[in-house]
Amino acid sequence: MAFVIAAPCIDHLDQACVAVCPVDCISHDPAADRKAYIDPEGCIECGACESACPQGAIMLDRRLPPAWAAFAEIDRGWWIDPEWARDAVDAQAA
Amino acid sequence: MIAEIAGRSIADGPRGVRRAPDLADNAVLVARELLSPTVARLVVRPDAGVGSFVAGQYLALGVRVDDRVVQRPYSTASDPAAADAHEFLVRRVPDGALTPRLWALPVGSRVRLGPPKGAFILVAGDQRPHLFVATGTGLAPFLAMLRTLARRPNPPRTVLLHGAARTEDLVCGDEIAALAAGGLPMTYVPTISRPDDPANRGWRGLTGRAEMVLPSVLRSADLPPGGLAAYLCGNPGMVAAAEIALLAGGVAPGDIHAERYWTAPGDMSAPSRTLDSDRA
Repeated sequence: MAFVIAAPCIDHLDQACVAVCPVDCISHDPAADRKAYIDPEGCIECGACESACPQGAIMLDRRLPPAWAAFAEIDRGWWIDPEWARDAVDAQAA
Repeated sequence: MIAEIAGRSIADGPRGVRRAPDLADNAVLVARELLSPTVARLVVRPDAGVGSFVAGQYLALGVRVDDRVVQRPYSTASDPAAADAHEFLVRRVPDGALTPRLWALPVGSRVRLGPPKGAFILVAGDQRPHLFVATGTGLAPFLAMLRTLARRPNPPRTVLLHGAARTEDLVCGDEIAALAAGGLPMTYVPTISRPDDPANRGWRGLTGRAEMVLPSVLRSADLPPGGLAAYLCGNPGMVAAAEIALLAGGVAPGDIHAERYWTAPGDMSAPSRTLDSDRA
């Protein structure tokens, strides 16, 4: 289980979550990404990111609504294939 | 689930090998001292030096396991003005992902230490009486705070209420006594929550959970509810109950600073850190 950054982050990238994450498991490429991504293997589920996000974009994977369910796979996938994740984010935002 | 885009099937999923976050080893475990059967003091020296931090903050401490770094955040007990290493109080969780490894790690091993973080910090310049309430290893940030207060020319009166299940977990008593003997106007109030536990045979001090004895400690220490700074750290149950007790006693919400060491089941409120709950 891990926290996931979902649709409300897209094109906002407030990054308040990055500052409060105690294990630095949130990242993105400023030149290429429309949202930030949580590494599910590093996340310790403390919830600091969820509370810090002004967009309400972050929640536990098991609490994602159906419309945002894909973001769990997208966050995981960014750490493997960023281009794939960006395409998937674009598809979600379309 | 995920739509297909012409020219590439997103549904095929990501391709490649996971890129681990850039979490290089950047510090050395320079000492490990067992303070009790389950609590150790770990001293970690960053390669780049300690740098700037504020009493009360935490750092992520991690070790490399295969292709990833397993990290947990721990409050530093070090004096911000004098430390050349970070000192942590770490409870061993038998089936945890990190602490058994920290226990087994040879002294001298390389580890990962994140930057200091956190808003649970000692407020500078506050000369009102201070109340520190800790459970277990929640004592750590208060050691940093006490060491900081001891450097002030006129430190405020401070009461440290420390709760534990067993007397063996009332660690760092020597350091606390030394701070008081050095002139810091502080009172140390330990309390044991399981007085009938055979491990606590011989205990003649206060008994009861920290949040339960808190009202009597406030009265006996003559701490003015309307004019004190309260800091709470450790068990989220203690933090929640102590907050309620302090608010009911007249302490202003802005004068209560809290750090929960793990998330209580079903707690959807303020953020907390996963510290003692070192899950596999």
